[in-house]
Amino acid sequence: MGKKQELRIKNWLISFIMDPVEYTLRKRLPRKLPKRRNDVYVNMKTDFRAQLARCQKLLDGGGHREICVHGLGLAINRAINIALQLQAGSQGALQLAANTSTVELVDDLEPEDPDESGEPMTRTRNNSAIHIKVFYPEP
Amino acid sequence: MSASKVKMRDRKMKNQPASVQYSSPSAAAGSSSQNGRQEAKDSGWQRNPPPRTGWVRGNQRDGGGGYMKEMPKYITAGAFARSRAAEVKAMLKAVTKRTGSNHVFQALPKHMRRRAMSHNTKRLPRRLRDVASKMREKSLQAGSKKKKELPKSKSRKARRRHGNLLLEFNRRQRKNIWLETHIWHAKRFHMVKKWGYRLGDRPTCKCYRPCYRAMSSHCLLLDISYYCCIELQGEEDTLLTALSQLTSKETGPTFAAALCLSGCRQGSVTVYRAGQYPSHPLGPVTFLWRPRAEGSASRQLWIWAHPALKQDLLPELQRVCECFEAVVPPVIPVATPAESASTLESEPKPEVSPKAKVTPGGKRKRSRVDAGGPPAKKILGDGTRSPDTPVTWKSSSTGIVINDLTMEMVRYRLVGPQSHSVLTESLEAATDCDEAGQSQASSLWWPQHCRDERKMNLHQQQAEVFKTLKGIYSSGEVPPGTVLGLTVDDPRLTLPAKKVKAMPSVNQSQEADEEKRRQLMLRGVPQLCSQSCLWEQSVRDNVTENKISEQELNRMRSELLIPGSRLSPTPLQGRIPILLVHQPGKQVGNDMSSWGAGWDLLLPKGWGMAFWVPLVYRGVRIAGLHMSLKRSQNQGAPHFPHDYPDCPAGVRFQEEQEAELLDKFKRRPPAKRTNYIKHGCLAPFRCPWQQLVEEWELLTRQRGDGLARSTTKPKEEEMTPQPDHTGTKPQSVFTVIRSRKSLRLLSAWCRLPTSRGQRPGRGGGAPPLQQSAADAFLASHRMSVAWVRLSLLSKGKPELHAMVCAPTPEDLKLLGKRDAGTCPQEPPHRDDFKSKTKRRKKGSKKGAGPLQSSDYPGTEASEPFVYAEPDLVLGVWPDPLPSITSHCSRVTLGWITEGDFSLSAGCGEALGFVSVGGLLNTLLSQPEEHRGKVLLRNPSSLHYRFAQINIEV
Repeated sequence: MGKKQELRIKNWLISFIMDPVEYTLRKRLPRKLPKRRNDVYVNMKTDFRAQLARCQKLLDGGGHREICVHGLGLAINRAINIALQLQAGSQGALQLAANTSTVELVDDLEPEDPDESGEPMTRTRNNSAIHIKVFYPEP
Repeated sequence: MSASKVKMRDRKMKNQPASVQYSSPSAAAGSSSQNGRQEAKDSGWQRNPPPRTGWVRGNQRDGGGGYMKEMPKYITAGAFARSRAAEVKAMLKAVTKRTGSNHVFQALPKHMRRRAMSHNTKRLPRRLRDVASKMREKSLQAGSKKKKELPKSKSRKARRRHGNLLLEFNRRQRKNIWLETHIWHAKRFHMVKKWGYRLGDRPTCKCYRPCYRAMSSHCLLLDISYYCCIELQGEEDTLLTALSQLTSKETGPTFAAALCLSGCRQGSVTVYRAGQYPSHPLGPVTFLWRPRAEGSASRQLWIWAHPALKQDLLPELQRVCECFEAVVPPVIPVATPAESASTLESEPKPEVSPKAKVTPGGKRKRSRVDAGGPPAKKILGDGTRSPDTPVTWKSSSTGIVINDLTMEMVRYRLVGPQSHSVLTESLEAATDCDEAGQSQASSLWWPQHCRDERKMNLHQQQAEVFKTLKGIYSSGEVPPGTVLGLTVDDPRLTLPAKKVKAMPSVNQSQEADEEKRRQLMLRGVPQLCSQSCLWEQSVRDNVTENKISEQELNRMRSELLIPGSRLSPTPLQGRIPILLVHQPGKQVGNDMSSWGAGWDLLLPKGWGMAFWVPLVYRGVRIAGLHMSLKRSQNQGAPHFPHDYPDCPAGVRFQEEQEAELLDKFKRRPPAKRTNYIKHGCLAPFRCPWQQLVEEWELLTRQRGDGLARSTTKPKEEEMTPQPDHTGTKPQSVFTVIRSRKSLRLLSAWCRLPTSRGQRPGRGGGAPPLQQSAADAFLASHRMSVAWVRLSLLSKGKPELHAMVCAPTPEDLKLLGKRDAGTCPQEPPHRDDFKSKTKRRKKGSKKGAGPLQSSDYPGTEASEPFVYAEPDLVLGVWPDPLPSITSHCSRVTLGWITEGDFSLSAGCGEALGFVSVGGLLNTLLSQPEEHRGKVLLRNPSSLHYRFAQINIEV
C-alpha cells in the first residue's frame, strides 16, 4: 500500500470521525509560489472587470508579451473567462495555452473541547487549478 | 444700563490697581458718613465718581440733574483728602510698578520700538537708557547665578567619552528602563514612557503605509522585550492543578492543552483570578512549556505577560502555587572601579573576555590587546531593580518555584509573510567547534555542549529543520504556534556590507527537501527540536557574559588578510542559543486569513543589538507601539490593555487615557474646542461600560415586564431608564464574554442569513434567533459586553470612542436606497452648561480680582455661584452622566475602542464593545435582510454611518 493511499484512507477516516460540533475547521491559505510581474492570480472577491482591466494593462502598457492567469477551484471559471475575454478583445492577436494542475490544500482541525484527549489534526485535500498563458505569438 | 456699557466699564476697570476699594454706592448710602458721600458727589463736576448706575457718560436725565441739586456747600479738607488718599496711593504704586514683562522698551509705543533694542541699549531713547542698562546688568547677574548653581558641566568631549556616557545612561534609565535597542530607537523614534519602560511609539519618518506594506508583504520588526516572562518550575501535575484555577476551558485551550504541554507549540490563554471565572479577568498571556527531558518529572513553564498585567498576575500566581518564600539572591560584592555604577547590576559580571584587562595608567595608549572593559558596564536586564529584591519564590508544600525573568531575555517580533526568510538569511546554525576547541577546558558553554553526542545530534536535526524553513514561501504556512529551538552563530559575522532585502528562495528546493517541507507544513517542528539551551539559566548567563564586544570583533576583522571576508574560525564565544516561536496571523473570520503571521525571536539578554542590526540589514521595517496596535486591529485580535476594559490593567489604562485626552482637549483654546455636549456625546474620553450595562439590564427587564403586561407597546418609548434605580440593586461588575460557545452563538445571530461562505452544515447548530433563545442567552449574560468588529458599509472613518447605535426602522429604509449621501443625522443638542461654565469662569476670575461681582448691581450677582461643580469643562458633560442609552435620537449600544481606515479591507473598520442586551434587542427588532446593521457616530460628528457588526470566533 502506497503512502498516498494510506493518507487517503486516513483522510477518509478523519472525515468520518469529524463532527462539526467537536472540531473547528480552519483552512490554511493555498501555498503561494513566487510571483513574477506577469502572473495574475484570479480570485472571486475582486470585481471581474477590474481583474480583466489589470490583465489588459499588463499586455498593453506593461510591455509583457505574455501573461499567466492562474485560477484555483471556484475561480477556474473566472480565469478562463478572463483569458477568453482578453483574446476576444485583441482581434485574434492573442493566443492561449491552458494547463491544469492539482493543488494540495491544508486544513487544520482544532478540537472544540480543549482537553488533553483531543489533538489538533491537519488534513490535506486536493483542488483543481488552471494556469492559462495568454501571449502574442512570435512572428 | 445697556450691556455694551457694562462691558465697556468692565474693560476700563479691569486695569485698576488691586488695593483700591471703591466706595460702592450701596455701602455709601447705608453708611453714616453722609458727609463723605456728599463729598464724593460734589467732585462730580470734575470726574465721574463710581456711580450708582455704572459708567455714565454725558448728562443723564436723573444723574445729571442730581449734581445740580446736591451740590455741597462746603468741603472738609481732611476728610476729602483722606477719602482720596488710598486711591492716589494705589495710582502711584501702579505707575511705579512695572507689570508683566520687564523689558524697558515695552514702555515705548510700538512705532518707536526698534529691532534689537534689548541687547543694544544705545538704540533706546536716552531717557530710558539708564534703566535699561541697569536691567540688563541685573539679568546678566541672575543668569550667571543660575549657572553657578548647576554642577559644573564638563566639556562635550569629556561628556561624550565612553565611560562617562555610560554613567549618564545608567542614571537616565533609573526611572524608566531602557530596552537594549533603546539608543537605536531613540535616534529614530518618538519615545514614550510606558509601564516603567521607555519605548518607541512610532518612527519619526513618515512610514505608516510602508509599515503596513511590510506587514502584509515582507516583514516588520518590533522589539517587544518589555514583555515580562515568569518562569514556573515544578512537577507537571502540581503545576497544572495550580494553574487550572486561573483558566477556564470555556474560553479555549488552557495550560493543559496537549500540544502545548508537549512543548512544541506556544499557547495563549486568558487568565482570571483564581476560581473566579467568568468575572475578574486579569488579561491574556502566552505560555511555553519546555519539552520534557528524559527521566525528569520536573517541568519548566514560561508565562509571557504584558508589563501592565504583571503586577496583577504575579501575586495571583504566587497564591495559586502557594509560593511565598522569597529567595533572596546572594549579593556578591562586585569588584569594580569606584566610579562604576555597576552596583545597580542585578548580578556580578566578570570581565568581558579573560584577556581583557584595564591598565589604569595608559588611558590613551591602551594597547590593542587589552582594549576591553569600559569603566562602567551598561546595565543589562532590569537595572532599576536593586540587587537584593527577590526574584524567586518557592513553596515548601507544592515544590513549585516561581522565577521572575523580566528583562532576562530579549524578544523580537517579526511580522509578515517573509519573516522566515529574514530569519534564515540573517541567522546561521552554529558551526561545530573543532577538536582543539573541544579538548581545551574552557568556561564557555559551547565546547562542553559539543562533547555530548546526543546534544550534537539534536543540534543537527534543528539545523536541518531551520534549513527546510528556507523552502517555504510564506510564514503563514507553518502550523500556528510552532516552536523551534536552535543554536546560531553570532549574526554580526555574516553582516552584509550593504542593506539587502531578504527574499524567499523557493526554487532551489529539491525532491528530498520537498518531503521535509511538507512535513514541516503539516506537522510543524518535531517535538524534539523544540528543545533549546535558552531554557537553562547557566547557559544564558554564560552567553551573556562572554559576548565579544563590538570593538573586539572589529579588531579581529581588521586583522583578516582579505578585508571583508568572513571571520574564520568562528570565535568560540559566538554561539547563541535561541528560540523561534511562530506567531499565528489572523485566525478569525473568512477574509485575510493568516494575515500578519510571523516569528518571535527569543535571545539571551545582552545580545539584543547584535541581532537587531543584522535583522535591520535584511530590509525589514521597524515599527513601534503604534504599529503593533494597528497590527492587532488588522488581525482582528484584541490588543492588551486597550481591549480589556474589564481587567484591572484595562481599567487603569482607560483612566490614563481619559486624563491624557482631557488634558489634550483642555490645551486647545475654548473657542476651538469641539463642544461634545452639542454633539450629543456624553463620554468622548472614556467609555462608562458599567453604566451602559446597568442601563441595558434595566431596559431588558422593563421590556420583559412590559411584554408580560401588554404585548403591544412601542419599544422606543420605554427606552428611558432611570439611572437612580440602579443604586438599589446589588452591584455586579460587567464582564466581557469570552466563552467560545456563547460567542459562536452570538456570531451566528449577527451574521446575515444569506451571507456568502456560510454553509448550512457549519454553524448550523445554532438555534434561530428568537425571543425565547435570546432571553435564555441574556439570563446567563446579564452584565456582559461583547467584543465586536464593525466594518463600515459606506464612507467614513470611525474614531476612538465613537458610538455604536441601533438604527430605527426609518434608517433601515434609507439603507435600502443604496444612496451613499443619505445617512441619518443626529439633531444638534443644546448645551445647557455653556452659560454656567462661562459664568463660573468669570466669577472665579473676579473672585481673584479686586471687584466682587456682587458690587455690581448690573450683573447677575444675585444668582448663587456654581462652585458646586468643580470640574466644569466647556464642551464636556460634567460627571454624573444622564442616561447613556437614550441620550441621543438613536439608542446607544456601545463604543469603539479602536477604529481607523483599514488598509487591508479598504473601508473603515472598528473594534469595540456592545452591550449584549442591547445587541440582542436590536437584532430581534431588525428584519432578516438587515440583520446586524448598526449605526456608528464619531464623537465630533452628527452623522451616523451604517456598519455591519461581526463577531468572529
